[in-house]
Amino acid sequence: MAAQVATTKVPEVRDITRIERIGAHSHIRGLGLDDALEARQVSQGMVGQLASRRAAGLILEMIKDGQIAGRAVLIAGQPGTGKTAIAMGIAQSLGPDTPFTAMAGSEIFSLEMSKTEALSQAFRKAIGVRIKEETEIIEGEVVEIQIDRPATGTGAKVGKLTLKTTEMETIYDLGTKMIESLSKERVQAGDVITIDKATGKISKLGRSFTRARDYDAMGSQTQFVQCPEGELQKRKEVVHTVSLHEIDVINSRTQGFLALFSGDTGEIKSEVREQINAKVSEWREEGKAEIIPGVLFIDEVHMLDIECFSFLNRALESDLSPVLVMATNRGITRIRGTNYQSPHGIPIDMLDRLLIIATTPYTEKETRQILKIRCEEEDVELSEEAHTVLTRIGLETSLRYAIQLISTAGLVCRKRRGTEVQVEDIKRVYSLFLDESRSSQYMKEYQDSFLFNETQSPQMDIS
Amino acid sequence: MAVQHWADALRKAKKTALISDGKRKAHYLFEDGNEMAEEYDLKTDELVLRKWRHKTTFGGQGQWTWEVGETNPNDITSDVIKENCSNPLFMRKDTKASFQWRIRNISYPVEVYSVSAEPTERCCVIRTSNKKYYKKFSIPDLDRCQLPLESAALSFTHANNTLIISYKKPKEILTLEQELLVELKKLKGTSEGDIDCKTQ
Repeated sequence: MAAQVATTKVPEVRDITRIERIGAHSHIRGLGLDDALEARQVSQGMVGQLASRRAAGLILEMIKDGQIAGRAVLIAGQPGTGKTAIAMGIAQSLGPDTPFTAMAGSEIFSLEMSKTEALSQAFRKAIGVRIKEETEIIEGEVVEIQIDRPATGTGAKVGKLTLKTTEMETIYDLGTKMIESLSKERVQAGDVITIDKATGKISKLGRSFTRARDYDAMGSQTQFVQCPEGELQKRKEVVHTVSLHEIDVINSRTQGFLALFSGDTGEIKSEVREQINAKVSEWREEGKAEIIPGVLFIDEVHMLDIECFSFLNRALESDLSPVLVMATNRGITRIRGTNYQSPHGIPIDMLDRLLIIATTPYTEKETRQILKIRCEEEDVELSEEAHTVLTRIGLETSLRYAIQLISTAGLVCRKRRGTEVQVEDIKRVYSLFLDESRSSQYMKEYQDSFLFNETQSPQMDIS
Repeated sequence: MAVQHWADALRKAKKTALISDGKRKAHYLFEDGNEMAEEYDLKTDELVLRKWRHKTTFGGQGQWTWEVGETNPNDITSDVIKENCSNPLFMRKDTKASFQWRIRNISYPVEVYSVSAEPTERCCVIRTSNKKYYKKFSIPDLDRCQLPLESAALSFTHANNTLIISYKKPKEILTLEQELLVELKKLKGTSEGDIDCKTQ
């Protein structure tokens, strides 16, 4: 009976917004630099790669200054040496106000639009325009909130909100969404609030002075404010950051901003873009708008072909271009679309424009540190010996493979009801999952028994 | 001079007119991309409706905003927040000789209200001594022609739960409206049915 009660216990209500999935680089919170731009050995999820991080820090300062347009940076290094991690670190340190667009080199090969269109869209997504816009807000002191739940228990709630200023008083009908956000913000009678009419966003300004009592128990963060004056509905200037691409989309069709939601934007005419560039520079001269050059990050840049590179060469010369960060793990290889070989698969004239940051393989100590950080991120406890074994695996196979083993070993450990991952658990998953070199070894041994092996064909060209 | 400026803007605007259900409807597309729509009663030639659509900051199309005429509050189907139907309803409805505003559904006695013009802010203010209603409104017609605002021209009455505020139209406005009406009547509008309408 008691057991039954325990199983039917209502699960705790968790705040939905706090559940996040763990990605490959979710442990990175910045570049881990101090004020003098020196890299700390272990900081903000980054380990080692001191020189590259310092270099990235200098680039970051350049971006933050916002003065220089159209610089390009290449992060080159072996697989699993933290190239994407450095790019993510830059994105994290820039903060939410600077546009950061990340894409993979292969993303531009779409059937719906040309390669250069995809690239120009990506470029324009990485340029932000900060501009003042007027919106309608309701600002007032809450006199009364009344929320009625339907008697049947189901159906929409209805609510009324009475707001006042020093001059007037108005009753509002509330929609379901509004009722939810009001109760989430814990708005009570006596609070002074603003409501954005278009988005329905509520912000609490504080408590009204008229409601202040001598012996009220208040949190220290509660502020007292005056009851607003004049009309309840006001027009207020707010600062918005939109990307050039968003302005393009709004202007490229007569349906206006609805196109933003329909997803399919198609190609945007170059005349529209020119008009918008002219308009934006006009705003800038009048002091109405501010241009925020952001970052465009292209991962796996060797996937771009010769046409894209020549387009990039040209695009980087525009004064409305972002800082371009690229990453590649290739050595000397064929440039896509030609028969020429070139370092990183990038033409020499393009390479000439780049600042190149090299990443180097991690040392044993650094590998150990990274594995420790990942264990914390994935919520797996590792014993000292297991940690050593995993570090060896990481050094001898690859760091990625070792990271993959963390969560699988954690699961094996949980199945045997252990609290800490032991060497046995690591051994178990090591035997269950092949790493890349063991897999190739296996292939070489058993190649003959696989399908379609009757005829000898030349090796497939994968470059 | 400023009157002339507005008259020129009207003249240069691309005008389309049509007559349907007893109203003369006119649409103006101005050079800056803003749009204005007007409706006149065929019998009395009174302005029934005037609405504006301005370009948004980023060049997209905005919403229609009513300047004159009845706004339908039920039209705004916002599921977020809207004014309760028990609140006073503000609208403008002009007569030949004056600009006129009506506030319906307002039941306080006449002593409560005070209406004043504030020339510095270029707006009129309605106040209530019981602090239940307050409204600031401008007269766009005067703003467009940059004519001064005079408190003497302002008056108000209250009857049948409605507060009516009138502002006597100045001479300049009256002549301008006359001219515009003549101009509109000259426009060859299709009498009924579909006309070519550029949608894209």
